Amino acid sequence: MRGLLTYLPGRMDDTLNSLHYFMPEIYLGVLFLLVLITGLVYKRNAGGMCRVIAIAGMVFVLAQDVIQSYVPVATTVPLFSRMLMLHHTAVLFKLIIDVITILLLFYFAWDRQLKAHRKGLADLYAITIASVFGLHLMVMAVNLLSIYLSIEFVSLASYLMVAYKSEQGLSAGAGLRYVLFGAASSAVMLYGISLLYGFSGSMDLFDPAFIGGLSHVNTLSVSFALVLVFAGLGFKLSFIPMHFWVPDVYQGAATPVTAYLSTLPKIAAFALLINFITPFVFISRWNGFDFRLFLSVTGLITMIAGNFAAVMQQNVKRMLAYSSIGHTGFALMAIVSFSAEGISALIFYLAVYAIANIGALILASYFANITGAENMDGYRGLGFKLPAASICFVIILISLTGLPVTAGFIGKVLVFQSVYNVYQQQHHVLMLLLLATGALTTVVALFYYIKIPLYLFLRKSDNNRDYAVSSQILMTLAIIIAVFLVFIGLFPDYLVKYL
Amino acid sequence: MNILTLLIFIPILFALIIWVMPSAWRGSFKYLTLAATLIQLGIGVWLYLHFKTGAGFAGINQEGQYQFVQKLPWINLNLGGISRMQIDYFVGIDGISIAMVVMTSLVMVIAALSSWEIKSNLKGFFILFLILDMAVIGVFCALDFFLFYLFYELMLLPLYFLIGMWGGVRREYAAIKFFLYTLFGSVFMLLVMIGLYLSVRDPATGSHTFNMVYMMNPANYIPGSVFATVSHCQIFGMSARVLGFIILFIAFAIKVPVVPLHTWLPDAHVEAPTPVSIILAGVLLKIGGYGIIRICMGIFPDIAISGAFWLGLLGVISIIYGALNALAQRDLKRMIAYSSVSHMGFVLLGIASQTPEGISGAMMQMVSHGFLSAMLFFLVGVIYNRVHNRDIYNFRGLSELMPRYTVFVMIAFFASLGLPGFSAFIAELFSLAGAFKSYSFNGLLPQWLSAFGVLGILLSAAYLLWTLQRMFFGKELLKGGETWKLALIDIDLRETIALLPLALLTLILGVMPSLVFDKINDSVLALVDITKHFITL
Repeated sequence: MRGLLTYLPGRMDDTLNSLHYFMPEIYLGVLFLLVLITGLVYKRNAGGMCRVIAIAGMVFVLAQDVIQSYVPVATTVPLFSRMLMLHHTAVLFKLIIDVITILLLFYFAWDRQLKAHRKGLADLYAITIASVFGLHLMVMAVNLLSIYLSIEFVSLASYLMVAYKSEQGLSAGAGLRYVLFGAASSAVMLYGISLLYGFSGSMDLFDPAFIGGLSHVNTLSVSFALVLVFAGLGFKLSFIPMHFWVPDVYQGAATPVTAYLSTLPKIAAFALLINFITPFVFISRWNGFDFRLFLSVTGLITMIAGNFAAVMQQNVKRMLAYSSIGHTGFALMAIVSFSAEGISALIFYLAVYAIANIGALILASYFANITGAENMDGYRGLGFKLPAASICFVIILISLTGLPVTAGFIGKVLVFQSVYNVYQQQHHVLMLLLLATGALTTVVALFYYIKIPLYLFLRKSDNNRDYAVSSQILMTLAIIIAVFLVFIGLFPDYLVKYL
Repeated sequence: MNILTLLIFIPILFALIIWVMPSAWRGSFKYLTLAATLIQLGIGVWLYLHFKTGAGFAGINQEGQYQFVQKLPWINLNLGGISRMQIDYFVGIDGISIAMVVMTSLVMVIAALSSWEIKSNLKGFFILFLILDMAVIGVFCALDFFLFYLFYELMLLPLYFLIGMWGGVRREYAAIKFFLYTLFGSVFMLLVMIGLYLSVRDPATGSHTFNMVYMMNPANYIPGSVFATVSHCQIFGMSARVLGFIILFIAFAIKVPVVPLHTWLPDAHVEAPTPVSIILAGVLLKIGGYGIIRICMGIFPDIAISGAFWLGLLGVISIIYGALNALAQRDLKRMIAYSSVSHMGFVLLGIASQTPEGISGAMMQMVSHGFLSAMLFFLVGVIYNRVHNRDIYNFRGLSELMPRYTVFVMIAFFASLGLPGFSAFIAELFSLAGAFKSYSFNGLLPQWLSAFGVLGILLSAAYLLWTLQRMFFGKELLKGGETWKLALIDIDLRETIALLPLALLTLILGVMPSLVFDKINDSVLALVDITKHFITL
């Protein structure tokens, strides 16, 4: 105990100095408390008040992120005795996460099924803010402990969000499955982390002793530990074989919660992955576990399995779930390049994918609100009754497929380019396989994505019902998203210059 | 305002006008579309008249020799590190493009005239039609590979909906088959395009570029890059350049179409409504041929030379196989679809010969077949609109019922089989002559190849004249009896206006082929010149 006294002043100074760089997260913590208390104090209209406070607070957090983005590109600031690290890429990820959170906070109240919840949405907003805090921590985590802590933070919040709509049997079952699978993968990851600590004697990823210690250990053991850690990461990223929870949970949860799950944890997990492999790949010469081979093979299998499984789906949300697995596989390709260019390509691809996916789910909500259609068969002939929404749906699906003239195409081009660059330097046949699989799965993706316009426009409905048009606000949001995607597809400069 | 940019984007302007117009005025949509295509035709004719010829205007791989050029910086992505992605809006035409642009604008007018028969969802139809119009003209004018690819892919989505929503009985199957088949080819073309981008350096700025003209100059390639000419990079044991050529060729061969990648065509052409069939057969097939000339031959001339025999062989197989299939058809529209496969085989044969005559013949065949297939599909549409049946066996003696119609059918059929005096004769003559000459000129194609090609002419005469005799001559006998006889009225004013220019043009081009040859000659000679360097005699 007396030995620790010498460390204490230094640690105190470090913590107090780090607070200056921790402003967005402090704002998030205060916001969470505010929303929670508002939800308790206001009995009536708690949902509306909480929503206003949450969105206003997120705008402040976004402003803090923008301030942080003026940190020069090359600098990295270690925080809280090297538990977290603030760098430019992390700030970019935080910006994207916050923008999408604001979008989702608007969306939560516009889904009819979620809004009909008898307890109101006040708690949901509080949980969302808490999860965003966890996502911010994930993006900056560089210590094995903070990695685990932040992942658990986000997982706990997502368990609650998934089970929120708990009346129907489907959602409760999906929630339980999610919790069990998540708990198991966390346990596996913790085992891997403990092995890594045991091998190296350090928790800090960027500590030379960490890499040094691991280099001296038997490759098989280190590979085993790393694979276990990736199992935990894979649960959040939903790559094969940790993807089994995705279709059931995405289908069973409320649609805005699906929108949250398919975008935000995935983005933060990619940031975490980049942080995790940086010390191995970028900084030192590491010739133990081959990260490039592991990530490439995982990406290949994930792309193939996700896209081919989506072909057979009839439920819209389930199809989008499998397609998001396919997108994860494709994004893994961008990481494989291990270059700054690859990271930029990845950020662009993830941002565009997130916006398009949210757009697709918003429209699924819209159609479900008006017609109660959950399966593609229920979309028959709706293209003529709800033309604006259907055309937006077509544009958003084209962006998800990756065809010109949409932002999704630019994302694909950037990712292909970064993989090509690696191929040119190293002539590794695996890169070519990745490119060919990416191209092939684009064609497969077209087949299942075009099923929705097929039912909307090419098939006629049997009945001649007229639908009471409601949730116009959802349609407006979808139109904005569709226009944004086409605009960025034609002039990607406007988005890339912020990256 | 650059005239080419105006030409490309006028349809979008009219599409926006149609979009905001109220549905109560839906009767005017077809006139608006016709106006848009007529304006495009006017611009096309203006371009044709002001197109300069001469050795200094050949284009192909000299950027300064292209005409009506507009080059604007468009996308400038700065992705971490030192690399910047620079894409320009680069349009221009040379001898190869001008022929295609003028033909396309005329075929679009005919397709717009043929759209009178569309009765449902007019707003959607005409907006998609105009987007397609913009995309096909853009493909022919684009000189930046990224822009070319953008327009190339932009064609697919409107066609999916045009075939799938207004088509025949099996329209869903035909539409998705067309979309998937073509996308399969073009997505691998995207990979080669990015590979070329990373292998080429812009001499002016030093960064990578998508500029197609720079890609045609071997000096611009970075040594050691994937597609560099001298580095002999190997992929899967094959030279990278050969693999790139094959992938690009497959992408365009699906469009031409070349047997055995042609199976989407009969379904798509038959199930599509008449205006869409006209665009498919008249314009889209030529995009494949144009792509082979501009991109496969322009950027990979060395591989085009070494693979010339296989290209020629595929061309002859297309000619004979397409013609044999056409001979076996009962459905008139399906027969004409297979005859398109057969006639596009002459294009591939002419290109493969790498002689001035051969390539000129291929270009002429593209122009001529554009007009003739538009005419043929329009004529099929006339019968189908009246009685909703196209089976050859169900009609006999139509010449007594519809004499004016029969005249146009005779002109179309005789022109199509290559009767001297019509444009297809010149085209097929030059393609075959070029292929024959290739043996002594550059040693690429054996002489028996063109001998087999001649067989195609005989077969096309067989199926066309046989159909003509069975459907139009002899005693009148209709499957539908009196109802059909009453429905089969002769062609009216609109249909005559659509068919007359096509008939006149095919006659004029057959008698004065210099109208096409003069404009394309310099570019063709420049193209042969590029490839000559790689021929080892």
